[in-house]
Amino acid sequence: MGNFFLSKKQNVSELSTFYSFLIGFVIALMIGTIILIIQEKNPLETFSLMFRLSLGSVNSFTSSLNKAVPLILAGLGISIINSVKFWNIGAEGQIFFGAIAVNYIYINTQVTNSTMLIFVLLISGFVGGAICILIPAITKVFFGVNEIITTLLTNYIAIGITIYLINGPWKDPGSLNFPAAEYIGEEVYLPTIFGKLSFGFIVCITFTVIAFYLKNKSIFGYELRIAGGSELTAIYAGINAKQKAFIAMLIGGGFAGLAGGIELLGQTHRLSTGISQGFGYTAIIVAAITGMRPIGIFLVGCLFGALSIGGSVIQTVGVSTYIADIIQASTLMGALISQFFFNYEIKRKENA
Amino acid sequence: MLDIQLIGLLNATLQAATLLFIAALGELITEKSGILNLGVEGMIAIGAVSGFMTAINTENIYLAIIVGILSSAAFASIHALVTVLLKQDQTVSGLILTILGLALSSLMGKEYRGKKLNVKIESLSNNNEPSNFIEVLMSQNIVFYIALILMISVSYLLQNTLFGRRLQAVGEDSKAADSMGLKVNRTQFIATCIGGAFAGLSGVYLTLSYVPYWTDNMTSGRGWIALALVIFGGWKPYRTALGALLFGFLEALVPRLQTYGFDLNPYIVKITPYIITIFILVILTIYKGGRTGAPKNIGIPFFRENR
Amino acid sequence: MNENILELRNISKSFGETKALNNVDFYLRKGTIHGLLGENGAGKTSLMNIISGLYQPDRGTINIHSRKINKLTPEIAYSLGIGMVHQEFRLIDSFTIEDNLKLSKANIFNKNFDDAYKKYSDIFSLNTDKKRIIADLSVGEKQKIEIMKLIFNNSDIMLLDEPTAVLTPQETEQLKIALQKLAIEDEKTIVIITHKLKEIKEFTEALFVMKNGEMVSKFIDSKSTSTKELVEMMMGEATTYTVKKDNIRSEIKLKVENVSLKDPMTNIKILEDINFEIQGGEILGIAGVSGNGQVELANLISGINKIYEGKVLIKNEDVTGEGVKSRKKLNFAYIPENRLGVGLAPGVSVIDNSVVREYFKTKTALHLSKSKTNKYLNNLVDKFSIKSGNPKAEISTLSGGNMQKLLMGRELTINPEVILASQPTRGLDVNSVDKIHQLLVEQRNNGTAILLISEDLDELFKLSNRLLVIFEGKIIQSFETGEMDISKVGLAMAGING
Repeated sequence: MGNFFLSKKQNVSELSTFYSFLIGFVIALMIGTIILIIQEKNPLETFSLMFRLSLGSVNSFTSSLNKAVPLILAGLGISIINSVKFWNIGAEGQIFFGAIAVNYIYINTQVTNSTMLIFVLLISGFVGGAICILIPAITKVFFGVNEIITTLLTNYIAIGITIYLINGPWKDPGSLNFPAAEYIGEEVYLPTIFGKLSFGFIVCITFTVIAFYLKNKSIFGYELRIAGGSELTAIYAGINAKQKAFIAMLIGGGFAGLAGGIELLGQTHRLSTGISQGFGYTAIIVAAITGMRPIGIFLVGCLFGALSIGGSVIQTVGVSTYIADIIQASTLMGALISQFFFNYEIKRKENA
Repeated sequence: MLDIQLIGLLNATLQAATLLFIAALGELITEKSGILNLGVEGMIAIGAVSGFMTAINTENIYLAIIVGILSSAAFASIHALVTVLLKQDQTVSGLILTILGLALSSLMGKEYRGKKLNVKIESLSNNNEPSNFIEVLMSQNIVFYIALILMISVSYLLQNTLFGRRLQAVGEDSKAADSMGLKVNRTQFIATCIGGAFAGLSGVYLTLSYVPYWTDNMTSGRGWIALALVIFGGWKPYRTALGALLFGFLEALVPRLQTYGFDLNPYIVKITPYIITIFILVILTIYKGGRTGAPKNIGIPFFRENR
Repeated sequence: MNENILELRNISKSFGETKALNNVDFYLRKGTIHGLLGENGAGKTSLMNIISGLYQPDRGTINIHSRKINKLTPEIAYSLGIGMVHQEFRLIDSFTIEDNLKLSKANIFNKNFDDAYKKYSDIFSLNTDKKRIIADLSVGEKQKIEIMKLIFNNSDIMLLDEPTAVLTPQETEQLKIALQKLAIEDEKTIVIITHKLKEIKEFTEALFVMKNGEMVSKFIDSKSTSTKELVEMMMGEATTYTVKKDNIRSEIKLKVENVSLKDPMTNIKILEDINFEIQGGEILGIAGVSGNGQVELANLISGINKIYEGKVLIKNEDVTGEGVKSRKKLNFAYIPENRLGVGLAPGVSVIDNSVVREYFKTKTALHLSKSKTNKYLNNLVDKFSIKSGNPKAEISTLSGGNMQKLLMGRELTINPEVILASQPTRGLDVNSVDKIHQLLVEQRNNGTAILLISEDLDELFKLSNRLLVIFEGKIIQSFETGEMDISKVGLAMAGING
């Protein structure tokens, strides 16, 4: 070891993230193949079945896209917060909180116009997510409390509150085996626009554009980048770094909350623990794998959505649904490992 | 003579606490070396399933424990490879470990779901109806005692031995440690694997004793609690054990609340430890001027300035 | 005993195009205290990094204990008993003194630690318990622990980088006595690396002097060489001033009135009653050994720190208590001492860093125009001949000189009326230094008032119209153009008002 050392490469191609994603994906498919062979399944058949069932028809294609919505929105939120180099491990909880907020407003609202109401409810979802990250945001920005831990803990608090609500105050007496809140009225179901494609996907595209603009083109995003690089430079430039970082955290939480709202209004139609199946965690993978780039998050989100759909339908032929999770996780692990080789050189010390 | 329900509560508390504590202690060791591993949940799952599978197939409980420990340590070495040697982000790598571990364990354990275990971990006494505190302690199985021994020895090692101080030196200030001739990469790699081994022990305790059967995602968030416990305990083994008792007590209490006639909502009770942990972390950060006990270099990859 | 315990011959080392060391000889005699003298950037640090195995020389031979070392790595250097105390301490703050001394694998006093600790803490006049936490110690105490660490690790060759920079006069005296004892009683070979003349003569027996990467004097007797001779060796012949100082001056543009500052925690005075004013077309230099209040002074003039006593006026407008933006509006430019970390944000792209000053001037408060920022950067690159490469690459991919040119260009392209430049050429190669001096002089000729804070006397003498010397937070002496004299200024920097 003493004869080698790491040196950061000077010029790293901008496409390196993309290449490492591809390498990671190929590695993941190989791992998937090995697992399938061990399980005595034909990998080629299984993968082509997964492909057909997730992308092969309009129906499956649209459900893949619907599945991608929460991943993308939560991933975008994580990427906005990461502009200041903070982590948000709490997207899962924010998704739940968004859904809770939607249900709360739905129960208590006076608004009757259904379009108007859907609009109000989507906003409540956003606000719910922002509320969920409020404590971690205040404690991180103003007191320096580690946000990885606090956001992580809020997941359990948010899910705990959800369980409390669906077993207590909001319990649907009709739902016996599976605790859940009462169904929302059909008047607030998110409309479908193309086949099964939910209006949520349009919201998702819109927010991808917003996030892209915010991060890459706006003054706000610029100020976040500078603050993330060095708080002292931000002060030197006259940027109120703390305030901007705080706002960024709330917005990021809001994106995940919106995802929860869309899941409730467009997919599950009632509050339950099924609002998210680990979307908040997978979203971190999606965001990290793309180097926190909004367009990349959108694309990888769609791919991972399709993988999830593919994964959940192949269990009908006796293949474990977890193969999709494994492929997702291995893609990122493979991408991380190859990132290293794009960014560093292992140099040998020259002789004197 | 103690109330039979109280005995039950006590017993359940100790068991739940043991499970949480072992994993937390492993994470504590890893973090002391400066590596954050968010993959505890995944590592417990791997240990749990591989231990269970071994126990079913060989009916050898000790072999099962060893296999569980080694599998998780091997699994943790992925994190060590990616973060220690390849210097990639610890947060991301740890999360992948969790997702991968949960998925992989479900895949591995598919054929073992609902199978019945014919062997069990030995206890000191075979008293099935303990009637006082001592007897409850005596009726715990060996993993409980291993946990006690680990608690005392890890605390001693960290505080009083050169070995332990060197481990912490690496986590506090890897550059200074390097200048003292300590092997930073090696220390962190080993500490990460030890963390995995502990999580593995916690996992086998789950499937071979605590539950004991196998089903998907049966770790149900215990790995995350273990992470919270390390913070709760201010990176100190005894305080972490205390935290484990509190979390374990609440886990044991929740299903019993109604029998006691308490008008506390069990779901609210269940989230209180998380709120307390956030509160403690905030208080420690603010009032101790950042001296939360957290290793200073945690999460920061080590590079030597060479050219 | 006249053998050389360490011997370096014809050592050369280049970094890219910069020659850090050129054919350098360096040798040490056992049980002797050596001095290595030279200005910042003379090559002292590079030489020390070669001796401690961190850098590999391009050419030259290394002999240690009369044995030829083909390849010196940090591990080998360590095992041969070479130890270094860096300016930034390598102690573990949250650990006790005992831990810090014991943890190293090379520690030779594990068994009789208490005796050894007592012996050496007596030598260093360190009256503190071994169980104390490093973070609670004073800087002087930490310094002592750092040196003791070398002894405990069995280092026979001890390299001390600017050991007196952070010490009080009493501590400096204690250190001198301790080092002399170590050299005599333990036969330690000691090197003191410094650019300060004051102590070096008292501390050392033999001296090496470096200038511009070359060893200009080898193993000369410290006591018989006069300070004046040393200054000449270190700085070369009295610089021929190519900068004319008879340019036209205008009205007062920066005024600092009765400024004082206390450390809020300890209540110790950091700055005391600072007063000066600068006219347009004038460069006012502030000389001083670092750590005498320069950073704090720059922070409050630039508006980064808003809480202090006294007043700051820019172009006759009172900006006391106001922030950075108020100064920007008054055409004030600040080139901070920490180029990367304050002036430029690490990890952020070149293009983003280039618009730190101007970004908010875009018409819409929301949108950051890519074409405008690109144009702005291209303009800077042309005007200040910056080698910038890919604008989207991280700022740290630029060389130090190019970084500083980008930072200066960014601040100067608006034609500021007042400039505060703090250590603008520290660590830069000769060409970049020249370029930056030119830029400052150009600005001065255009009628800008410039406050130049520097440790580099050459630079200060070359550029300043007037010179103030700061010592322990006070201006202790001022010099007009004709009065600047290297030994008087040097003495003032050491706190002696001549």
